[in-house]
Amino acid sequence: MGLPHAVGEEASRGAGSPPLLSMHGISKRFGATRALKDVSLAVHAGDVLALIGENGAGKSTLMKILSGAHPPDTGRMELAGAAYAPENPHAAHIAGVAMIYQELNLAPDLSVEDNIMLGQECSRWGRLDRTLQRREVARVLDLLGHADLPPEALVGTLPAGTRQVVEIARALVARARVVVFDEPTSSLTQADVLRLFEVIRKLRQSGLGVVYISHFLEEIRAVCNRYTVLRDGEIAGAGDLAGISEADIVALMVGRSVNELFPNVAHQIGDVVLSIEGLGGGRYPQSVNCDLRRGEILGIAGLVGSGRTELLRCLFALDPVRTGTVRLANLTPRASPRARIAAGFGFVSEDRKTEGLAQGRSIADNLTLSRLAPYSRWGWLNLTQRRAAANDWIRRLGIKAGSPDDAVQALSGGNQQKVALARVMHQAADVLLLDEPTRGIDVAAKSEIYRLMGELAAAGKSIMFVSSYAAELLAVCDRVGVMARGRLREVRAACDWTEESIMHCAVKKYDE
Amino acid sequence: MHLTSDTRPARTATILRSAKTTLGPFLALIVVIGFFGVYDTWFGGGGQFLSARNFRSVSVATATIAVAALGMTVVIIAGGIDLSAGTTVALSATIVAWCLKANWPAPLAAAAGILIACTAGLINGVLISTLRVVPFIVTLGTMTIYLGIAKIIARETTIRPDLNEQVPRWLADLLSARTEALWFGAPAGIWLTLALSLALAAMLHLTVFGRYVYAIGSNESTARLCGVNVPWCKMTLYTLAGFFVGVAGIFQFARLSSGNPTSGTGLELRIIAAVVIGGGSLSGGRGAVLGTLTGAAIMEVIKSGCTQLGLHNPVQEIILGAIIVAAVTLDQVRQRRSAG
Amino acid sequence: MQRFAGFWPAFAICASLIGCAPAAPPAAAQSQGGGPSPTRVIAVIPKGTTHEFWKSVHAGAERAAKESGGVEILWKGPFLESDRDGQVTVMQDFITRKVAGICLAPLDSQALIPYVQEARQAGIPTVIFDSALDDASDLVSYVATDNRNGGVLAARRLAEVLHERGNVILLRYNPGSDSTEQRESGFLDTMAREFPEIKILSSDEYSGTTPETSLEKSQQLLVKFRDQVNGVFAVCEPNSTGMLGALEEEGLTKKVKFIAFDPSPRLIAAMADGKIDGIVLQDPLKMGYEAVKAMLDHLAGKPVKKQILTGEFMATPENMHEPEMQKLLHPEQFGE
Repeated sequence: MGLPHAVGEEASRGAGSPPLLSMHGISKRFGATRALKDVSLAVHAGDVLALIGENGAGKSTLMKILSGAHPPDTGRMELAGAAYAPENPHAAHIAGVAMIYQELNLAPDLSVEDNIMLGQECSRWGRLDRTLQRREVARVLDLLGHADLPPEALVGTLPAGTRQVVEIARALVARARVVVFDEPTSSLTQADVLRLFEVIRKLRQSGLGVVYISHFLEEIRAVCNRYTVLRDGEIAGAGDLAGISEADIVALMVGRSVNELFPNVAHQIGDVVLSIEGLGGGRYPQSVNCDLRRGEILGIAGLVGSGRTELLRCLFALDPVRTGTVRLANLTPRASPRARIAAGFGFVSEDRKTEGLAQGRSIADNLTLSRLAPYSRWGWLNLTQRRAAANDWIRRLGIKAGSPDDAVQALSGGNQQKVALARVMHQAADVLLLDEPTRGIDVAAKSEIYRLMGELAAAGKSIMFVSSYAAELLAVCDRVGVMARGRLREVRAACDWTEESIMHCAVKKYDE
Repeated sequence: MHLTSDTRPARTATILRSAKTTLGPFLALIVVIGFFGVYDTWFGGGGQFLSARNFRSVSVATATIAVAALGMTVVIIAGGIDLSAGTTVALSATIVAWCLKANWPAPLAAAAGILIACTAGLINGVLISTLRVVPFIVTLGTMTIYLGIAKIIARETTIRPDLNEQVPRWLADLLSARTEALWFGAPAGIWLTLALSLALAAMLHLTVFGRYVYAIGSNESTARLCGVNVPWCKMTLYTLAGFFVGVAGIFQFARLSSGNPTSGTGLELRIIAAVVIGGGSLSGGRGAVLGTLTGAAIMEVIKSGCTQLGLHNPVQEIILGAIIVAAVTLDQVRQRRSAG
Repeated sequence: MQRFAGFWPAFAICASLIGCAPAAPPAAAQSQGGGPSPTRVIAVIPKGTTHEFWKSVHAGAERAAKESGGVEILWKGPFLESDRDGQVTVMQDFITRKVAGICLAPLDSQALIPYVQEARQAGIPTVIFDSALDDASDLVSYVATDNRNGGVLAARRLAEVLHERGNVILLRYNPGSDSTEQRESGFLDTMAREFPEIKILSSDEYSGTTPETSLEKSQQLLVKFRDQVNGVFAVCEPNSTGMLGALEEEGLTKKVKFIAFDPSPRLIAAMADGKIDGIVLQDPLKMGYEAVKAMLDHLAGKPVKKQILTGEFMATPENMHEPEMQKLLHPEQFGE
């Protein structure tokens, strides 16, 4: 990913100095499930502690205890030398523990200043003291290296990366001493990620403690200096990042050695099945030309907002198609999702929650919704048959679920993603359009999805794979194309790309 | 088939699960009946609350709301709402009265009532799916449009077909609780309601269209990307809701033997309340036929119970309101629990 | 956890009912206490429960019950004066409850007929009051104001104050309400027959059932006929109140002669100010009294007249302070 590694400017403190935040012997049960068992960790001033673990390892429970959302069953916490036992998130906020979540908690219709000061306004007799407030906002924005951010801009109009700055500024106004970042980069572009790291470095320079939760080991390597790995609610390992390899961290996370994060499944590439000529949508994409062969995995790289998602949606006719032709197996299907499905397209949305899956419906419903024909006659369903089929897919993909009748929202992210994939497989699609299929799922689940993609290609399916994570594109795809400003700029064999050259191609200025 | 051994216990589990979701309203109904029954029998009151005759009169009073609420259940499961249901009931009743007054044969008049309600539903569906305006606004508009049309048909008064000459016995007795009007122990309209409920429940659970309705309500984008023809489904389901509303219109006519254009005003809220008390979620994706019937029955049982005990209208209104709030709170709690 | 979810609404119901139980009517308390003689229960079903008029009817009904002794009045109406279906349900509930007799003020002259028949088949006699039914064959008696005569009185009074010439508006109440339709036709017929010099400007507008809707309708009418109208007749209390408000808003009081129907404190005060030239009065107290009395006589096997008229009166700014009129302008109300 080409991120600069953390410089050892502030080496880890000696054991002598007391930690800023410490958690000792924390345990927590929810009913019959043990979420945490005897977990301890410490964050020193100027530390950036990486909290690593698979989904369900207990990271979020631990952070909920830290932020006062849950009380621990046993164990104690200390903040700056004093006992710390917040009764609710507000108390934690006041004590100086700030949480920055994946989904930002901002009011889009309020200005930057109002958002930063929300709930902590400077006022006298109920009247806002704007001058004082402006000064405070300027102070924290300056501290974060974003003095240029106009305080009167509406937050809804800002890009995701800048919004995160607003959220961090809010924490600083509250005089936070420990800032927790929960998957902060999942919706950011590469450039924003770099700026975020700059901000985090500023935070540690000013003597704060940072806890950083992420699935991306490169990011962790770039911004953190210490790590704690959780597995099944227990500490699997902790120490300085300098002394451990990525493979070792992965091994700690999954409890077994994952030598092969990217399983290599041999597959044969055949004739052209899909040819796209001059495809154009609303704004993006613009005149895309491309071929896809049988058994081929084509990666689509590019920045967020470069038109990658729009390309897939246009191919699937979810977004209006303005120009160009899409020919699949010598047919040009009508521009509606229904017709595209009939022609053999399958689509997995980047957004599982609001588009990809009907969260409240059962696994069986979600799995079969795009193809109910095998179980229906005259519009009436054979539920027994459908159930058996759903069970079969659950087994084949190793989806961890009680029964096909369970609601999808009860599943973990990785398992939800498998349901979405199972749907396009059940649909017997020939061309799979996968938009960020590995976003927000843990390493083990990612690995399984890569294997699945390889197996699909080996079975003669063709895949278009959109991802922001260049490493996985290079490892999994046969060819990789880069999109920038709505156009597919360059398509090469995966071995002809490096992470740096992809990035270069994505951010380069083009003469249109 | 080796599958049977695998699927049978699973199917039982499914049935149990769906029973559990409808158990809440059902339990509430039993508690309400139990409470009034005990109070009426032992602590004063007429002692008639638990009589068969009262069960009949409560069920006929429930029928109009219940049938219309069946249609509303489909709409609400699909994430929509139909505020025009109330005035459409009156429109349909007015049409039936108009046709009878014009000496049409009664079956034809009933068909006309259903047809106009289906058309009203279809118009709602077409407007919602083509204009892409939220159902709340569209049906808020059509609500008064249908009221206006009914008033034009009735010339702003009440249409009264001759009870002896123009209204056949079977239609007048459709929802009569008198003993000689009964049909295997219940008025014909009650059997019709139950038959329609069964048919609708089967449609929702056992047909492709039913799956699509649930999918659209749960997540419309997902339905779209799974190739569901969302506009077509919406038109169909609003038309289907119109069918049930049309039957409710016939029921209303049968009960009042006259067609009054304003007799449906405010009815839509009671129809929606029946669905919500029965576990339907206004955010879509959830709702069940049995729950809706139970919800409609709870409201009517409370009314009847209050009358039997001699409780005054204000008390009755407060209790009904409390039930609705309790039901919606329950819905929220359930949702939060399943999301968390 | 979900299986316990059902207890919440159930709990709410119980809680609210327990809360109301002490408020249960004296009836329940009486039978609990074991009265000396078995009480006869008479159900009285008004058209609505929120007008002052019905409160006075209620007082009259209770007076008749008290006079006779051993009678319990169950007073229950529909939620709204337009809720025909609600009144049918109340009627059926009382038939189920097997009350001794039902006194009913029907919201619709036809819709309630089958249910009166149903009551008779169940052995429950029905007295109709206030408004007529199209089919009187199953009734014990009909107790009411002669509404037609009320309309005639209004027409004559309006002609008197207009000196028998000018343009007038008739504001109707609601389609399908028999009593007001009688007043309307009495008014129109008298105007046509006795006062040829008076022209009817409008007689096809309905005010709706609430003061709000009638205020709106009255104002529209007054704006439309502002330069022509000399006199107005509003056929019942809510629409009189609406018309009074509209006249005040438009600054037409005293310029436009105004006859109202049924009193309310606001209308009486307006008449004292000279803004109203006459209020047609009924005798609701007597109506409630006579209805229950007719029922009790019938139950006791005494002969009962088929039709009982309770009288109608014209209160004017001149006679309104006479004691007779005062009694009718401020009839006793239930609960006072």
